[in-house]
Amino acid sequence: MNLIADPHRERPTQSPAPIAACVGLTVAFGSRDALVIALDDVDVSFRDGETVALWGPSGSGKTTLLHAFGGLVEPTGGVVFWRGAPLSSLDAAARARVRTRGIAYIFQGANLLPAFTAYENVAFAAVCAGDRPADVELLALELLALVGLDRKADHLPSELSGGEAQRVAIARALAQRPRLLLCDEPTGHLDTDTTARMLEMIDALQRRLGFTLVVATHDADLAAGLGRAVELRDGRVVGHGR
Amino acid sequence: MRAIFRLASAGLVRAPGRTVLRVGVLALATALLGAMLLFVGNSLRTMTGAAIRSVPLDWQGPVGSRAQAVRLATATRAQPGVLRADPAATAPFVAAGHVASTGSIRTGAGSVLAVPMTSVDTFRLLHGTLRAGQVVLDQQLAATLQARISDTITLSPRTGAVPHRYRVSGVALVTAPDVLFQPLNPQLGPVPAQPPAQIAIMPLATFSTTYAPSLQTITPLTVGSSVVPGAQDGVQWQVQAQVDPAGLGSSPGQALAHAGQVRNRVERTLTGQVQFVDNLAESLSAAAGDALYAQTLYIMLAIPGALIALGLAYLAALGAADRDRRDLALLRTRGATRRTLVGLAVVESSALAIVAGVLGAVLAFAATSLLVSGGVGLTAGRAAVTAAVCVGLAFAGAVAARVAASARVFAGSVDEARRGGTRTRTPLWQRLYLDVAALVASGLIAWLTARTGFSAVVNPDSNPTLSLSVYMFFGPALLWIGATLLLVRLRGRAVAWLARRGAGNRPTTARGLLLASVSRRGPSINRGLVLVGLLLAFGVNLGIFSATYDQQARVDAQLTLGADVVATAPPGVVTAKNLAQRVAVEPGVRAVSAVDHSYAYVGPDLQDTYGVDATSIGQATKLRDSYFVGGTAAQMLDRLRSTPDGILVSRETITDYSLARGDLLRLRVLDRSTGRFTVVPFHVVGTVQEFPSAPKDSFMVANLAYLQHASRDAGPNVVFARTDGDPVAVARRIAADTRADGTTVRDIRQQTQQTVSSITTVDLTGIAKIESTFAVLLAAGAMALFVGLALSERRRELATMAAVGASLRHIAAFVWSEAAVVLGVALVLAAGLGWLLATMLVAMLQHVFDPPPDALAIPWSSLAILAAAAVGATIVATAVAIRRIRRLPLGAILRER
Repeated sequence: MNLIADPHRERPTQSPAPIAACVGLTVAFGSRDALVIALDDVDVSFRDGETVALWGPSGSGKTTLLHAFGGLVEPTGGVVFWRGAPLSSLDAAARARVRTRGIAYIFQGANLLPAFTAYENVAFAAVCAGDRPADVELLALELLALVGLDRKADHLPSELSGGEAQRVAIARALAQRPRLLLCDEPTGHLDTDTTARMLEMIDALQRRLGFTLVVATHDADLAAGLGRAVELRDGRVVGHGR
Repeated sequence: MRAIFRLASAGLVRAPGRTVLRVGVLALATALLGAMLLFVGNSLRTMTGAAIRSVPLDWQGPVGSRAQAVRLATATRAQPGVLRADPAATAPFVAAGHVASTGSIRTGAGSVLAVPMTSVDTFRLLHGTLRAGQVVLDQQLAATLQARISDTITLSPRTGAVPHRYRVSGVALVTAPDVLFQPLNPQLGPVPAQPPAQIAIMPLATFSTTYAPSLQTITPLTVGSSVVPGAQDGVQWQVQAQVDPAGLGSSPGQALAHAGQVRNRVERTLTGQVQFVDNLAESLSAAAGDALYAQTLYIMLAIPGALIALGLAYLAALGAADRDRRDLALLRTRGATRRTLVGLAVVESSALAIVAGVLGAVLAFAATSLLVSGGVGLTAGRAAVTAAVCVGLAFAGAVAARVAASARVFAGSVDEARRGGTRTRTPLWQRLYLDVAALVASGLIAWLTARTGFSAVVNPDSNPTLSLSVYMFFGPALLWIGATLLLVRLRGRAVAWLARRGAGNRPTTARGLLLASVSRRGPSINRGLVLVGLLLAFGVNLGIFSATYDQQARVDAQLTLGADVVATAPPGVVTAKNLAQRVAVEPGVRAVSAVDHSYAYVGPDLQDTYGVDATSIGQATKLRDSYFVGGTAAQMLDRLRSTPDGILVSRETITDYSLARGDLLRLRVLDRSTGRFTVVPFHVVGTVQEFPSAPKDSFMVANLAYLQHASRDAGPNVVFARTDGDPVAVARRIAADTRADGTTVRDIRQQTQQTVSSITTVDLTGIAKIESTFAVLLAAGAMALFVGLALSERRRELATMAAVGASLRHIAAFVWSEAAVVLGVALVLAAGLGWLLATMLVAMLQHVFDPPPDALAIPWSSLAILAAAAVGATIVATAVAIRRIRRLPLGAILRER
């Protein structure tokens, strides 16, 4: 039984219509005296099934842009669209529903829930996504097997290495059956070999499952290896490239 | 140093919410201690004041002549600490006479009191005044002689002597004649005597010139002959002195010591000339015993609560521990020494302590003025001392909490501090199993107490005094310590184990995942559980003990009076006037029973004897099982019912006369028809140690019909009534309806106010109110703090859940489920531990309770309030937490490193 492939899910069409986009997106933090403009009038769109690198140095606004697409920050100006509908106009509960079965994250530091085992971290995402209890265990174990961690299903995050934790985070993200997978410096804490294996795995999964992959990175080589690159500097889009 | 101040203030200002929380918790904890301090201080002052006021005359120094009395009074008055000193004298008279309009009236023997014209402290003038050459009569003497102001009366100093004639210048009421006319022997101390029936008062000069020459003088050398009460046969010159109460100090112990020093100084200054009988020391000594008892009770009840309250400060400090650890680790990385960090903690704690201490003191003032009737005598000085103590305690609490919460940074290396590693070494107390040892020792002491009856001992005769053994207090103290340490050692393992069983190996539902989370957060849950559980246990212990104490105070009053309402009638009236039936039909009366109180001889001992109706006495008054030995109250009454000549005798009589159940006991009972004692056979059916209205020592209880038949009595003389309404109103109605029959009616409310025994000398009401209020507030605060801390600690985790797509309902469940676990387990823990502590305290103080309680009184309403406060606080705190979760800045939290 293959629970990873969602039978109800539309296959990517590589259509020109973007699955997610932002227009004139501005995000500012702080008060008037110490105002930080993290994103300044940004226009970006992601097509269904494509792989995009958000590239730029630290502080360029990559993470904020990912958070804006995930509905985790409120835009100060502009609009974020999810499948053609303005995401920023949704309330918190509706945004949570979008994240449940539409947008998933992989954080730089894995951000596993410390009180849960690897299995439970993945199962939690599946339960939140509304999977039936009968399917949850199979799905979680299948995903862990996919990332090569089925033998460490009952380990707590504190008992996993950085690379293992990040692979659990990938499995957890996949449990949401995402249309859009947002990865924030997913290899930032990993050594070179592990980084290479991780990227191969994400790439393989993306080709197999067909989600849109957006990877924020400051690594130019990594960005160059992905399908399309959007370069950010000081909160502005300064370049597009393949 | 300036940098440390800047850093400390920046740290406090940067997180205003946490600072306010820490100040609030510290303020609440110090407020409880401050309120206790004010209450205990006021109680001791009240006891001291009452002890001093109860003494009409502090010192009486016997001397040999008027000249000596005058000279030594002047010398005594000049001594520091002495408020006043006057010469005085007492003397007997064998007869007094007056020719009234109805004829010549003579009375029997009495006493004369001679005082200076200016000294009127020992009597209260009702009419007229004290005049030279004239006398003031005590109102009883005036009534007996039918003498009025300006009449002339005679006083005969001794048999055969010529009576002295005096004009009456006033009528007075002599206060405390038992002390005024007591035989004076400084070696024996105060011996309050049977007061004279008739008293005449005259000016000292008049006395010395007219009356004293007719009698010999009692000199200090012959004082031994006059130590028998009522045997005074000469003039007793004396110096009467009052100590200045202003300089005695606030506690009975201090006052006793200080008054003793003043007396010693006076006697040393006037060596060989005068020695005083110290009535004040006697009274203060008894008060010091009561104060010791009160302080012990207050400490046993209050200190645990205050210490746990300070534990909350640790919980509050934990909320900022991670941030503090990071900041401190950074400072150490940049070269700050441990000393600098400790300095920073001290400066920060000082700032918190000043604000929290002052706020705590204000809360303490408010609590005591609102909850203690009559207030606590707050003055500017006492307020300042309380505020200083509160600031000091807040400082100690803040430093301890800060150091405990950030201990790893202070103790470890710089690298360890930065990593914030967990403790790997088990604390010494855990390795030594001190918690288990404390619990075993506590159980052993409790067992010894129960087995040997080894407990606080009260001398029930005269003024109550208490013998306390220090070992006794180890029982509850070790139970508190052992239970706390055991809970800390367990680190919530039991809760975690249960949750793990509930979650299963591979949870597949939201509920299962919640339980899985709970199963791994045992230590965090345990922090809340320990504090909330112990605070609630403190409240339960306090509530049960206070309720039992109140119950026993009422029982004490009922035991002294006999029933809710008691009507005492002249002989024959109860039967002749159908008094019992008339009382029974009064509104509010549930049951009545007539009792005959008389006397009978057991061998040479005259004992109180009660003739009761074994069928109705149990309904008319409460007979507790603890009143009897070797059976319950119902069994004893059954025995009496089935044995017409049965008699219950006291334990002393059983022991003294080697009696056993079924033995024949011949009593000499007064035959009312002949006025002679006749021998009447009874059979012992049991042992009684307490009985309503009976004295504490030996007495007997028999069947009314048998006793009445044997004594040919005209019937019972007392009616006991149980009420189901207001006993005061019922007593008033009975008194109004039976006044014409010469009855005296008393109710339990009057008796409660008048009963002076060990249990009612210490008023627990005030401190119980204060501590109950704080227990409710602290339990509610602890639950709110636990929820707030959980939210603070898990905000990144909760934000991650939101990012993973968890709904608000899912996320909130992680907060409220832990709060529910803590609350549920804490309530169970509190019920068990609180009950155990109260049981131990009551067992320990069982001899203070007279009679000992049959069972603990459970104050359901106050316990419900306590539980409701904890539940309410949990609901409110959880609702607030959910609201905060909804507004969490997810992006900002997820970016935190």
